[in-house]
Amino acid sequence: MTPRKPLLDALVEALRPSDVLISCLGANARYLPHMTVPCPVFALCDSMGAAIPLALGVALQRPDRHVVALEGDGSLLMSPNVLATVAAAAPPNLTLVLWVNGRYESSGGQALPPVTVDWAALARAAGLHHVTTVGDVATLRDAFAAARGAGSPVAIVVEIAFDPREAIPPYSERPDEIRARFRL
Amino acid sequence: MMTGVQQIVTGLEAAQVTLVASVPDTWIGRLMEGVRRSGQLRAVDVAREEEAVAVACGVNLAGGRGAVLIQNAGLLNCGGVLAGLVELYHLPCFFVVSLRGDHRDPVYYHAPKGRVTEETLRAWRLPYARADRRGDLAAQVTQGVEFCVESRGPFVLLISGEDLA
Repeated sequence: MTPRKPLLDALVEALRPSDVLISCLGANARYLPHMTVPCPVFALCDSMGAAIPLALGVALQRPDRHVVALEGDGSLLMSPNVLATVAAAAPPNLTLVLWVNGRYESSGGQALPPVTVDWAALARAAGLHHVTTVGDVATLRDAFAAARGAGSPVAIVVEIAFDPREAIPPYSERPDEIRARFRL
Repeated sequence: MMTGVQQIVTGLEAAQVTLVASVPDTWIGRLMEGVRRSGQLRAVDVAREEEAVAVACGVNLAGGRGAVLIQNAGLLNCGGVLAGLVELYHLPCFFVVSLRGDHRDPVYYHAPKGRVTEETLRAWRLPYARADRRGDLAAQVTQGVEFCVESRGPFVLLISGEDLA
């Protein structure tokens, strides 16, 4: 499996200024301030499970913007109900990118409950029709490009390698800074 | 004379609320029927109350005004998202919450929620008020939304079934 960072790099490279990026807490939120992201970013440092419904609210309010939500498998395992909510609301401008490594990486890399969740099947069962699983940079690029024209919400399941030695930077922005900088 | 449902919907409209996220109960379901009749408010059905809070915050981040309509059981689920999203990022979030289990609602299985709701709101330092049907309920709603916008934080309006009549 591919490590997280090359996949996150590829995703950020594929973003456009008209996109909006909403990130869950954890590694993605900690990397993003150190990357050149061409669109507005709202990154969480707490509140597991809030990234997707937050992005849903943005997407419904601003149908002219493509909204991308980054979520982790630990967070989504707490609140998989949100997949049905997204399917019901059906915004065509929302793409969910689920990072799957079986770990609560934000809190030290503890393992999730020891069961293999079929995330793509779960997303489909919840009513999402456009679901893709990727595991490398090329397929992520293809899946993300296809998501823009899907016409309904998309879920991209990204299987990543867990590296307990990965040098993830610490949080470098405070919530007030993130809130103040986020402008659509 | 407008019903309580009509007054609350009128208040939301006057406050320029654009989207209402909800998990219904008997009372909130009646209120959501009024929301769905509005030409201004978009009703969004969510599966769990924490989602409603985050959806409303997303609407507010994107330049609209979101509101949350849930039961007090659901409000009690929301401690984490209130602390980690609404409070941490200073986001407006207006709630209309059905207060089940107080003295006006003597249903045994609601009573435990009724006993702890207002004490929990105070412990969480959430500004709140009980709806006052003798006053101007629409204005109370509008003022609650404006309070959220100006304070960049939450406000909870507690309603009973009687308030909707």
